[in-house]
Amino acid sequence: MKSIKFALQFFTVIILFTSCSSDNETVDTEYPAIDLTASDSFPIQCSQINRGEKISFRALFNDNAELGSYSLDIHHNFDHHNHSTEVNDCVNDPIKKPVNPMLYINSVTIPTGLKSYQAVQEITIPQDIDPGDYHFLIRLTDKEGWQTIKGISIKIL
Amino acid sequence: MKHNKINLLRGCFVLLFCFAIVTKTAAQTVRISGSVYSSGKKPLEGASVTIYPSLISTITDKQGHFSFHNTPADSQKLAVNHIGYASHEIVFAGKTSTNPIQIILQPEVKALEEVVVTDNSLIRAKKEASLNTETVNSSFIQRNLGGSLMQSLQRIPGVKTISIGSGSSKPLIRGLSFNQVIVVENGIKHEGQQWGADHGLEIDQYAVDRVEIIKGPSSFIYGSDAIGGAVNIKPVPFPKKNSLGGTVDFTAKSNNEQFGGSFNLFGRKENWFFDTRITSLDYGDYRIPAEIVHVYNYPVPLYKNQLRNTAGSELDLHASTGFIGEKFKSAFYVSSVYSKSGFFANAHGLEPRNVDLELHDKSSRDILMPYQEVTHTKISNTTTFNWNNHHLETKLGFQNNFRREWSHYVNHGYMPPIYPADMYAPQDLEREYDKEVFSVAVKDEFTLGGHQLTIGINGEEQQNSINGWSFLIPAFDQITAGLFAYDKIQINDLWMLHGAVRFDYGKIEMKQYNDWFASEITENGQTTSQYLKRSDNLTKTFDSFTWSAGVNYNPGKVSFKANAGTSFRMPIAKELASNGINYHYFRFEKGNPNLDAERSYQLDLGMDWQEKNWSLQLSPFFNYFPNYVYLNPTSELDIYYGAGNQVFEYQQSEVMRYGGELQFKYQFFKNLSGEILAEYLYSEQLSGSKKGYTLPFSPPALVLVGINYSPEIKNLRETYFSLDYRYTARQNQIVPPEKKTSASQVFNLALGTKLKAGDQDFSVSLQVQNLFNTRYLNHTSFYRLIELPEAGRNIILSLKIPFLIHN
Repeated sequence: MKSIKFALQFFTVIILFTSCSSDNETVDTEYPAIDLTASDSFPIQCSQINRGEKISFRALFNDNAELGSYSLDIHHNFDHHNHSTEVNDCVNDPIKKPVNPMLYINSVTIPTGLKSYQAVQEITIPQDIDPGDYHFLIRLTDKEGWQTIKGISIKIL
Repeated sequence: MKHNKINLLRGCFVLLFCFAIVTKTAAQTVRISGSVYSSGKKPLEGASVTIYPSLISTITDKQGHFSFHNTPADSQKLAVNHIGYASHEIVFAGKTSTNPIQIILQPEVKALEEVVVTDNSLIRAKKEASLNTETVNSSFIQRNLGGSLMQSLQRIPGVKTISIGSGSSKPLIRGLSFNQVIVVENGIKHEGQQWGADHGLEIDQYAVDRVEIIKGPSSFIYGSDAIGGAVNIKPVPFPKKNSLGGTVDFTAKSNNEQFGGSFNLFGRKENWFFDTRITSLDYGDYRIPAEIVHVYNYPVPLYKNQLRNTAGSELDLHASTGFIGEKFKSAFYVSSVYSKSGFFANAHGLEPRNVDLELHDKSSRDILMPYQEVTHTKISNTTTFNWNNHHLETKLGFQNNFRREWSHYVNHGYMPPIYPADMYAPQDLEREYDKEVFSVAVKDEFTLGGHQLTIGINGEEQQNSINGWSFLIPAFDQITAGLFAYDKIQINDLWMLHGAVRFDYGKIEMKQYNDWFASEITENGQTTSQYLKRSDNLTKTFDSFTWSAGVNYNPGKVSFKANAGTSFRMPIAKELASNGINYHYFRFEKGNPNLDAERSYQLDLGMDWQEKNWSLQLSPFFNYFPNYVYLNPTSELDIYYGAGNQVFEYQQSEVMRYGGELQFKYQFFKNLSGEILAEYLYSEQLSGSKKGYTLPFSPPALVLVGINYSPEIKNLRETYFSLDYRYTARQNQIVPPEKKTSASQVFNLALGTKLKAGDQDFSVSLQVQNLFNTRYLNHTSFYRLIELPEAGRNIILSLKIPFLIHN
C-alpha cells in the first residue's frame, strides 16, 4: 500500500512537469523574402552589364516581423563553380583563368521597424576588370537571424 | 497539429500511469538471501542474482551479499551471473529455503561466451544508481549496428545522434551534445574535436564490449563537459588464465556498399595477458530516396541517388597487455583510430557549389575534395591495488587527435586570388587541428560503516595547434583539475542515499593569430594595408563547486529514485575566441571572450515497475541553465573575411528544459514480447535575444513500438525476429537557421541467431533499416540544415565468429 501511495505522489509530480508546456507560437519562424518580380528589379537571372557602367541594384524585401540587413556579393564564375537559385540556366562562356576579376561585397543595415523595404544601390562596374560570367549573390536577414539567399547568374561584357 | 500529437503522447503517458496504479501486486512471499564468492573465496560484488520464474533480480554488494524480501513462495530456481565467471544455478527442490545460500563462481573464458548481462541484472544496477543510466553490451550493438557507435545506440530512449554522412556521429543525450556530453573510454575522457557536428567520435565500435550511458548531469563524476550526460565505454574484461583465442567479425551494408571486419586475438598465461584487435572498413557514397535535393535554395541533382563524395574508410589498431594479480592489476592500452571521409561536395565552402559532375560521379567509392582525415592515438595505463577494504585505481593517459580538412583554396576577404607559392600550409589544407592531451586520475573506493565512499582527483593538460589557409579557432593550451568525494549509503534494505561534492579549476590560454594576408583598412579617409589580428593572447580561468544528492527507494516490485544536482562546463576555445567562416554552414562565427562557465541545475526522477510479464520504466527530468552558451544567429552580415555571410555570435541565456523517457515491455507468450519506447523533450530560452525560442537540434517526440519473436529452434540459440516501428513527431520548435521538420514513420526489421560450433557460438545477424525506403528528414542530422533526406533502405549483415586455440 505504501508503495502505491508513493507511486501516486510520484505521478502527480510527473504530471505537473509534463503539463507545464507553454504555447510559444508567438516566436517568429518565418524567413524573409527577396522579390525580383517587379519590372524595374535589377539584375535578374541572365542580365547583361557593360564594363565602365554604373548599375542600379533594385529589389523588394519583405518579412512578416522586421527586416535586418542585406549583403550583395559579385564574384566571378569563370570556373563554373557557382550555380544559381533560379530555375532557368544562362549560357556560360567556356572555363577560363581569372586575371583581374571583379570582386564586390557590401552590406546594408535596413532601417529598424520595417516589414517591407525597397532596396536601391548604385554599383560602379570598373573598366579594367575581366569580362565574363559572374555571380550576383543577395543575402537577406531579418531581425531574428533568419536568412534567405538568392544567387543570380549575370554576364559582364 | 503538433499540439495534438504532443497531447496524444502525454495522454499515453497518463494512461500508462493509471494502468500501473490499478494493478495489484502478488500475494504470498518469502525471503531468500545469500552470498556469492569467487573460486578464491573472495566476495564478488556486482553479481546478478535472478529468481525464476518471477524474474525478480538483484545484484550483490561489496561483501557479495544479496537478499530478496518479496519472493513468490513457488520460486523454482535461482541463477547467478557475474562478468568473467560462468553462470551458476540453484534449483529449489520442492520448497524455497530461507537459510542463507553460499555460491562459488568459476572463472569464465573472456568474450567467447559473450558477457552475460541479463536484462534483469541491468535493471537492478539501474535501481542502485541515483541517475538514469542505460547499459548495453556488444550483442546490442551487433543487433542494432549502425554506421558508427552512436548510431548503433540510437534505439535507447533519450539517446540520439548528430550525424554527418554514414560513418560519423556525435552523441545527443536528451538534446545536449558536443562539449556538453562526455565520452569516456577505458576510464579516460576522450578528447577529440567535440565541438563540431561535421566530424564524428573516434571510437572503434567493434572494440566496444559494454557501454553505460548516463542520461543526466554527471560533472560530479567526470568534471567539466559532463553537463548533459556521459557515454562510458567500459574496458574489455581480461582473458581467462591459460587461454588463447579471439574473434572474427564481418559486416556488409547494402546502402553504401560497406565491407568491413575486425579481428581480435587475446591470450593469457598465469598473470600476464595480451589483447589485440585490427578493424578495417571501406564504404562508398550512401544513397537517399531522392534524385534532386535543395541545398538552401540551390537545386542539386544526384547521380543514382548517391550523395556525392560521402565515401570513406577506417583503419583501427588496438593492443593491450598487463599483469593481473590478486591484489595488484595493471594494464596498458594503445590504440590508433584512423578515418578518411568525404563531405557532400555540393555543400562546402562559402556558398553551395557546382562541382565537376564527370569527375565526382565517375566512381561512388573514391574520396575527392572536400574530405577530412582524423587520426586518434591513445596510450593509457590503468593500475589497481586492493588492500583491506580499499580499492585504489590510478589512470594515466596520453592522446593525440590530429584532424585535417582538405578543400580547394577559395579566396575570400582580402585573400589573394592565386595561392602564394611560399605559403606555410599546403594549398589544399583548409584546416588542421592537432591536439595533445595528458591526463591523470587517482581514486580510492572504500567502505566505512554503511558508507561506500569514493574519493579522487583528476587533472588534464592540453596543447592545441592549428594550421591551414583558413582560420576559425586559435591555438590554445588548457589545464583542468578536479577533486571529488562520492558517498553511497545503504540506510536499510529499502532506502539508499547518494551524495557527491566536487571542486574544479580550469585555465585556458588562447594564442594570438594574425591573417597571413594583408587587408585594406580605411580609417579617417586613410587606407592602409594591415595583417589583421583575428585572435588575441587571452587567458581565462574558471572554478566551480558542484554537488549532487540522490535517493533510491526499492520496496519490491516498484522502485523509485530521485536525484538533484548541479553541473558545470568551462567554455571552450571555439566559444571564447572563434572568428572566421564555418564552411559547413556558410556562416561567420564569432566567439565571446566574456562567457562564464555554464551551470546547470537538474532534477531527475525514476520509476521502475517489474511484474511477471511486464515492466514499466519512467524517467522524467527538469533542467535549468542560468547561462547556457548559445551560438546566436544575428541579422548582421560580414563583408570582409566573411564574404557577405551571416554573423553568428556566442552569447549566454537562461534555458529551461524538461522531458522524459518511457519504456514499457510486455511478454505476451513465452516467445513473443512487445515494447513501447517513448521520449519527449521541451526546451526554451528564457532570456537573451532568442527569448521564447528552443535550442538548436531539439529532438522531436518519438515513439518506438517493437515486436520481438524468439522461437526455440534446434541447434540454434537466442534466435530472434524483431520489427520496430518508429514514429517521430513533427518538430515545430525551431531556431534560425533550422526548418520545421515533418513527422516520419520508419520500419526496421532485424533477425539473428547463434549457431553452436564446438565450444563457441557463431552469431549471425541481419537488419533491414528503413524497410520501405521512406524519404524522411531527421531533425537532428547535420545534413538536415541543407535539406538532405536520411539514408534509404539499408541491409546490414553481420557475423561474429569466436575461436579458441587452447583453453
